Amino acid sequence: MSIVKVKDLYKIYGHGPAATQALRGVDIDVVPGEFVAIMGRSGSGKSTLLHILGLLDTPTSGEVLIDNKDVFKMTERERARFRLETLGYVFQEYSLLGEMTILENVYLPALCLDRDNNYRKRAEAMLDTVGLSERLKHYPNEVSGGEQQRAAIARSLINRPAILFADEPTASLDITSARNVLELFGKLNRELGQTIVMVTHEPEDEKYVDRVIQLKDGLVSKESQPSVATT
Amino acid sequence: MGNLKLALFLAYKSMVKGNRWALALIILVMSLSFANLVLTPSILSGLTNTLDQQQVDTLFANIIIDPEPDEYYLENASQNESKIAQFSGVVGISSHLDSTAHIEYQWREKEVPSDKGKSGTWSVVGIDPDREVSVTTIHEHIIEGSYLSPNDRDEIVLGVEITGGGRAQTSPFLTLDGVRVGDKVRLTYPNGLQREYRVKGIFQAREMTRADRLAFVTRNEMASVLGQSVFHDRASQILVSIDPSVDENRLIKELETAGINGEIRSWREYGGAMSGIVSSFDVIASLISSIGLVVAAIVMFIVIYINVLNRKRQIGILRAIGIKRDVIIYSYIFQALLYASLGIIFGGLIFGYGIKPYFELNPIDLPIGMVSLTIQPETIQSAVLGLILAAVFAGFVPVISIIRQSIIKAIWGNA
Repeated sequence: MSIVKVKDLYKIYGHGPAATQALRGVDIDVVPGEFVAIMGRSGSGKSTLLHILGLLDTPTSGEVLIDNKDVFKMTERERARFRLETLGYVFQEYSLLGEMTILENVYLPALCLDRDNNYRKRAEAMLDTVGLSERLKHYPNEVSGGEQQRAAIARSLINRPAILFADEPTASLDITSARNVLELFGKLNRELGQTIVMVTHEPEDEKYVDRVIQLKDGLVSKESQPSVATT
Repeated sequence: MGNLKLALFLAYKSMVKGNRWALALIILVMSLSFANLVLTPSILSGLTNTLDQQQVDTLFANIIIDPEPDEYYLENASQNESKIAQFSGVVGISSHLDSTAHIEYQWREKEVPSDKGKSGTWSVVGIDPDREVSVTTIHEHIIEGSYLSPNDRDEIVLGVEITGGGRAQTSPFLTLDGVRVGDKVRLTYPNGLQREYRVKGIFQAREMTRADRLAFVTRNEMASVLGQSVFHDRASQILVSIDPSVDENRLIKELETAGINGEIRSWREYGGAMSGIVSSFDVIASLISSIGLVVAAIVMFIVIYINVLNRKRQIGILRAIGIKRDVIIYSYIFQALLYASLGIIFGGLIFGYGIKPYFELNPIDLPIGMVSLTIQPETIQSAVLGLILAAVFAGFVPVISIIRQSIIKAIWGNA
């Protein structure tokens, strides 16, 4: 049973002779609890694919089922709600809101969802999980890049999403911070069973994931299971 | 949390922790826009108010009693005055005995007696100086010499537009071209009677239509000119001034009911050409206010638009998180409303404690008189409403244009 199922996905930018095919019939499946890395060279279409999976962009054609729901048959309002409830998204660059504290940034999605009144406690617990319990009242510009990215991860997880998408989450970080973030993803995946789909171009990131999907020229060129290969 | 509460939360955080300089600039622009929206109409209202007040002060007082349509004069003027004086709210009564006269200056120097020379025909008003000061303020506008005394017979007070000279607005050939106090003028009345008067005073009321083109002699003098035996208790008009707290129209009805002889009218009915000018000013004020509002809306739009553009990425992130479009739009409308409210408050303070007191101490010295600000409640209401609507528009349009973009474009600026 897949949590993410992509069928024959196309994304074309522009029209006529200037049109560029970013994705040319991608098919992928992700099962619950899996930690998948999407890799590929620059221009291979990996970020485009993640933007579409994260409902930040729309495909030209094809089908995307997340949690058994055909997400591009939803209205804009339904997609927004779905993003809030079911998806977590970590951007490549720090994407915290500068006018809010780290704690406020983290509980903002919970505030929107209005599931319960424990959002503050949950945010504090989430920040504790990512090692930022000392930074609750700080503003994003008062913490390091690695800490900002960990706060962004905490924010993406606050509504207990079914799946977490991460778009080159370590690209802006130094080596130590990058390792911390990846270890955090590994921990979330192992201990909480969090499904994670991460775009990365760092070959050494393979060791943290269950499966690698290689994209080339907008197509899936290869799939591998590095952890199986190394054992 | 409901959509509105969440929008308020986002707006609050954005304003409190956003760029303080941008916030200060927006509020300054809003404040100045509000002050401008109130200032221009208030100057024009002050102008029309000055024009109105000048008519009351120098020509008509508040209520005018004229002869019946088929009569030239009011009979038994003193009896009428006594009756009117008994009404509550009446603070002054003065009868006028009017005529016209051909007034000549330096007539002895004319080589040919039929030459125009320095002469012209003007209205001459016979007044009781003691009573007149209770209904008009001509005596306060004497710029040279002095006002009439009750027993004056061969003395005259002339408006500056009759005497001419450097202070008059009228072309010299339409005036007496430089009469000074102490000079002699000769008046030829319609009945052929000629009398010489010493110019006792010259006044400049700066009323645009008639006042500065009037000549005043005492009522006794005018009665003697017209025929003492017939005119000693006649009047061309009776002017009545009333306490400002008294309703003019109510008093007019009371006077009519009491059987006061003559046609009783409010000064407003005599507005004539001036009422047209006042209406024109009202139209101009509305036009200027509308333009001011459009300019204020555009300025606010630009300032808020730049502010929203700077937050384009933030809006993209909010949408990426899953926050509904409505919430984001509301949050920017709330911000715009808050900007407008603060602008109105600070603009009101600037106006109330800065501009208004300044103009009260330093009225604008215009050719028609000293003009201060007259702030009408409707002006404030329309400025408040206009600014709020403009702010909502200025907050709504930019955020809508950004929200229509894809999230990716909003965050990274590309498609």
